[in-house]
Amino acid sequence: MGLGAIVIVGPRNPAFGPSALEASESSSRLAQHLSCVEILGCSMLERTIERLLGAEVELVSVVVASEVETAPQLFAKFKKVKLEVVNDVATATTRLFQDYVQSGLEHSFVISANLYAETDLLDLFYFHREGRQKITRTHDSQGPLDLWVVDCAKAQYADASDLFGPLSNGGSPNTSSPNNGSLNNAASYFVREYVSRLAHPRDLRRTACDALRGRCAMRPTGQEIKPGIWIDDGAEVHRRARIVAPAYIGRGSKVKEDTLITRCSSIERGCCVDAGTVIEDSSVLPNTDIGIWLDVCHAIASGNKLFSLERNVMVEISDSNVMRANGSARKEAKNLRALSLANEKQQPATAKVVDSKKETPAPEAWQLGANPIQG
Amino acid sequence: MYTKSPVIVMELPEQLNYVEGKALLVELQPLLEVDRPRVVLDCSRVQHMDSAGIETLLYCMDQAMKRDGDLKLAAVSPMSAAIMELMRVDRLFEVFETSEEAVRSFHAVALPENPQSLPWYSAGYGLPNLKSA
Repeated sequence: MGLGAIVIVGPRNPAFGPSALEASESSSRLAQHLSCVEILGCSMLERTIERLLGAEVELVSVVVASEVETAPQLFAKFKKVKLEVVNDVATATTRLFQDYVQSGLEHSFVISANLYAETDLLDLFYFHREGRQKITRTHDSQGPLDLWVVDCAKAQYADASDLFGPLSNGGSPNTSSPNNGSLNNAASYFVREYVSRLAHPRDLRRTACDALRGRCAMRPTGQEIKPGIWIDDGAEVHRRARIVAPAYIGRGSKVKEDTLITRCSSIERGCCVDAGTVIEDSSVLPNTDIGIWLDVCHAIASGNKLFSLERNVMVEISDSNVMRANGSARKEAKNLRALSLANEKQQPATAKVVDSKKETPAPEAWQLGANPIQG
Repeated sequence: MYTKSPVIVMELPEQLNYVEGKALLVELQPLLEVDRPRVVLDCSRVQHMDSAGIETLLYCMDQAMKRDGDLKLAAVSPMSAAIMELMRVDRLFEVFETSEEAVRSFHAVALPENPQSLPWYSAGYGLPNLKSA
């Protein structure tokens, strides 16, 4: 059937909507694009790619705007995924349509990485194919979504801003009529399933809560050792730590004595929560150490930065005893810098392509401290 | 019998760290050594605060309370409030939106808005008259 997909990460091109801009600004606070932030063991971008590959997509091109500071680095686990860092997302998208036509891919999904939608992608594709339109845009009850299906042959010479620009309302929730997207003979597809627009760090928390409460199909990685308590490989939870469901403890994280993890909190990969600290309605992003006797409430903690969702402020903590990025984070950043430098040397052009091989996930024995959860 | 000391309002620096905290303490220490010191710290200029700064605030509050006085905070920015909440000290201080409000709070006499004239067990409170029962 020849189906491809283009996932757009953090464009500054207005053709892809003001919400994308807001999302880039919000994500810069977390020093990472929102779609690349790991939540419940996996980033939204990875989840989107998995969904696309599950819908019989033959090739996924991830187009990363050059202004995105840290390009996604997790594609080693996917084959059929191509990563490009580009200066102009709109031009790159049109070029990809041409490439897809040459490769025999007739249709392509185009999706913003800031959108997580649990719609049936194959149903969307069949709807588009039956309509014989150049482009089909999706909507939900809150307005248009940044998810399209495009006929590559018809769209390959069109200007991306003509294709998407007039249609895009940036996925803003207040767009009134679904028919706003019916320009250029575009069909409109209504999404009834769960949708999350990542425009603000708050949306990450909301999505994590929805997943932990079972309001969407998304599930945390790892094992559900008790109803609502998910613990990933290698996590260590002290016997005197208290975890109140729903909660998630990520791979290799340490939760020390007298800590309390409660109200849909998630501790991501490689974190350490020290003695006596309370994590309430918060997400601790990967490789973050939280010191002793602290209260992290209604917040997202990442390295030495704390984003208070209640007050909508980002606080940088200078005292490394309170909060800091741990050694793994620094090592990852160093590796990433080395990788990007190596890529730049190999390819002097602005676009760099990383084809990745499938890496079989090696299931390790699940390690836990003795009696991790106190009743 | 005692005389009320005046309420002292002091503006905190932009950075409340170890160095600035020490300087603040040098300035504030004599004012805290009077009988019943009443101090308002205006945090409107504070841009950054760290654990040493928080420690300074706690020390000042401790000194004031030892002498039967009090230390209150005014105009705390969301950023400072977030740090204080993280370090669990937000509930230890009385916080006001402006320093004027904080000063007024020292002068205010705590009177209930509706004086309680009826005993709690009387029918006026919607409870059966337990006394007669």
